[in-house]
Amino acid sequence: MMSSDNISQLFSKLNDLKKVFSYGEKLIPILNSLGEFMKDTVPLLENINKSIAESTSKIPKATNQIQSVTSATEMATTEILDLVDSLNADLSDIEKTMLDVLNKEVDKKEFLLNLIPMLNVKNAETFIKDFLIKNSSSERLGELLLQIGKMKTDSNSITISLQVQDITAQQLATVNHLIESVQERLSSLIADLDNNPIPEEHDTKVNLPAGASFDPNARYSRSEVPQQEVDSIFNKEMQTASQDEIDKLFN
Amino acid sequence: MNLKFLIVDDSQTMRRIVANSLKNLGYEDFVEAGDGKEALVKLAADDKINFVITDWNMPVLSGLELIKAIRSDEKMGKLPVLMVTTRGVKEDIIEALKAKVNNYVVKPFTPAILREKIDQIIANTGGGN
Repeated sequence: MMSSDNISQLFSKLNDLKKVFSYGEKLIPILNSLGEFMKDTVPLLENINKSIAESTSKIPKATNQIQSVTSATEMATTEILDLVDSLNADLSDIEKTMLDVLNKEVDKKEFLLNLIPMLNVKNAETFIKDFLIKNSSSERLGELLLQIGKMKTDSNSITISLQVQDITAQQLATVNHLIESVQERLSSLIADLDNNPIPEEHDTKVNLPAGASFDPNARYSRSEVPQQEVDSIFNKEMQTASQDEIDKLFN
Repeated sequence: MNLKFLIVDDSQTMRRIVANSLKNLGYEDFVEAGDGKEALVKLAADDKINFVITDWNMPVLSGLELIKAIRSDEKMGKLPVLMVTTRGVKEDIIEALKAKVNNYVVKPFTPAILREKIDQIIANTGGGN
């Protein structure tokens, strides 16, 4: 026969069992929702995976396009430099010819002035001087020579501005390197999605390869400030070097 | 004095701009190299080269490594070297100084700056090797 204690224990355990079932009843809809959510999420994850794979496959094309931009700008810059060189050569020829004309003008003036005492004609001096004033091209030639000098300065300025090609080429090389780094990381992510859990990474810094042939900080500026800063650092550091080091450097 | 320049830069455009600037300054004698290694070959083959203008960032052998190679060579160790580069931060300038560069120009440069630095180097070293 069961004692009253045993019956109490049985009721207590039946109560616990009832609680478990009632908790289970509450859990079932949640588990059903979770199941539905997983069903919806799996194709979504597959889409993400596919999209990443497609993007990754397009990256080499993007880097090639950037490389072709660099090649195209270098070619165009070379063509501009050819034209500037040709322009400078023509300007130098014109300058030389005009200097010859100017010298001949001076010789002509000197010749005519020397002729005056030899001429035994009334008003010869007035006539010749008046002729020289009215027909002198020296002043105009001088002005044109100044203009040619300015044109040569301007064309040299174009040459200097073309340094922007080298600087942008380095900036594009940096972008290319960053894109390639992203491709490596995406490829690694795809491999992780297929096989292993994705490791959590907080390091977003992209390391440059050793001996990179580009400067990631290359900037184009016509300001004199960068060179002044370089001179300041260079001179300061030179001063702090030992006399022995300086002697070794310059002897 | 007669200067024969070696212009070292992986950018054809930059080599041409430096060469044009030198022409405008009255210097006509120069040869070119596309990286540090090619520069060393040209230096070994031509003992008339007595002034080097080099970029820093180049493939194969950088400008900094080129300077170190020049300075460690018994024959051409005292060759004047001017660095022309986009790198303008203090650490880079100090590194170039440690490698014993003679002077430093940051890109983009003007012919006036180039003349100033060449004149300074010639005045300090007497020019040539």
